[in-house]
Amino acid sequence: MDFKTTNTVDATEVWLTGRLEFTDHDRLRDIVELVEQSRARRFVIDMSKLDFIDSAGLGMLLILQEETESRNIKMIVRRPLGDVKRSIDLARLGELISIEP
Amino acid sequence: MDAVHHDSPAEPVFRGFSLLRDRVPADMAARVASRFAGTVQDRQDDGTAAGRGKPDRAVETLLMERADRDRLRAAFDRSPFLTVELGEGADEAAAPLDDWSGAPAADDPDLPGFYLSLTTGTAYGLQCPVLVCDELVRRGALDPQRRSNVELCLHEAVANAIVHGNLGLSSAVKGEPGGYRRFSEMMRDRLGDPAVTRRRLDIFCRWNGCCIAIAVVDQGGGFDTELAPATTGNKARSGRGFVFMRTLASRVTVTDGGRCTVLQFDR
Repeated sequence: MDFKTTNTVDATEVWLTGRLEFTDHDRLRDIVELVEQSRARRFVIDMSKLDFIDSAGLGMLLILQEETESRNIKMIVRRPLGDVKRSIDLARLGELISIEP
Repeated sequence: MDAVHHDSPAEPVFRGFSLLRDRVPADMAARVASRFAGTVQDRQDDGTAAGRGKPDRAVETLLMERADRDRLRAAFDRSPFLTVELGEGADEAAAPLDDWSGAPAADDPDLPGFYLSLTTGTAYGLQCPVLVCDELVRRGALDPQRRSNVELCLHEAVANAIVHGNLGLSSAVKGEPGGYRRFSEMMRDRLGDPAVTRRRLDIFCRWNGCCIAIAVVDQGGGFDTELAPATTGNKARSGRGFVFMRTLASRVTVTDGGRCTVLQFDR
């Protein structure tokens, strides 16, 4: 998985590409560092270009959710599509995190 | 396939042989034959077993010292039954003695199929479920419309075999404060241990007219299958892989103390 970041006054946005899976724990550390550095109220994870996410990747989203919550930052998962949306729906992650279609 | 092939340096180096006739010790050959006897050396292109019933059936095998995505695709193009990565720097004489036939015996040894054996160091990051599903589609076993669900289930089984099986990592660490950092460090440590990365990940696919069965076998310590969650929806940071498999596969069976996961899908 690769990502790029954009910052606005209101939000830090992380744009994921490729596959988010069990081999990406090091990348999770990088993204948590973005949360730690963010001064915005919202942390948006854009998944529109992500091709695949596995159960470990979903676990990483929950870790990010806790990291943002503990800093009073609202995390939003944006535009999961195709196989990514399928995994999120199967895990009923929408009951735990905010997802924007 | 009896002869040992030496390709030009520009091409992937494969050593092909018949397990039952060349180089492999008799006990290993007998063990492999008991499990994979269904693939005959003189099988026809249409997949029928022209030699079915012959007592001297041979298993087509390709060995490679080190596997990567391109080498595996090239190996699969030769349609062997077994594709085995020996491991970088492996002792060529000793390598055939490695236990790379970990998959359970098939109920019906005459069914078509293929078998892939990789070291953990290679399997990690290779996305071998993608390659295996490509091959299942290429051999006409998997309907492309059904591929996505099969690939996700296989991915989860392979991830479990690598992370919890061969690397011996428990997800319980992730539940601790800052545990993801510790988990990441532990994974890096294990991937740096040659004794760990040489452990094998075996994927064994067979199919008939109505279903596909895929066995994923590791050489780890196993796990208590009773602990695998049946549902999800909570905030647990792990355990959803089994939920995916049980939801999407027709049947999931875990044997050998958690070291072998068999996924079955309707065709």
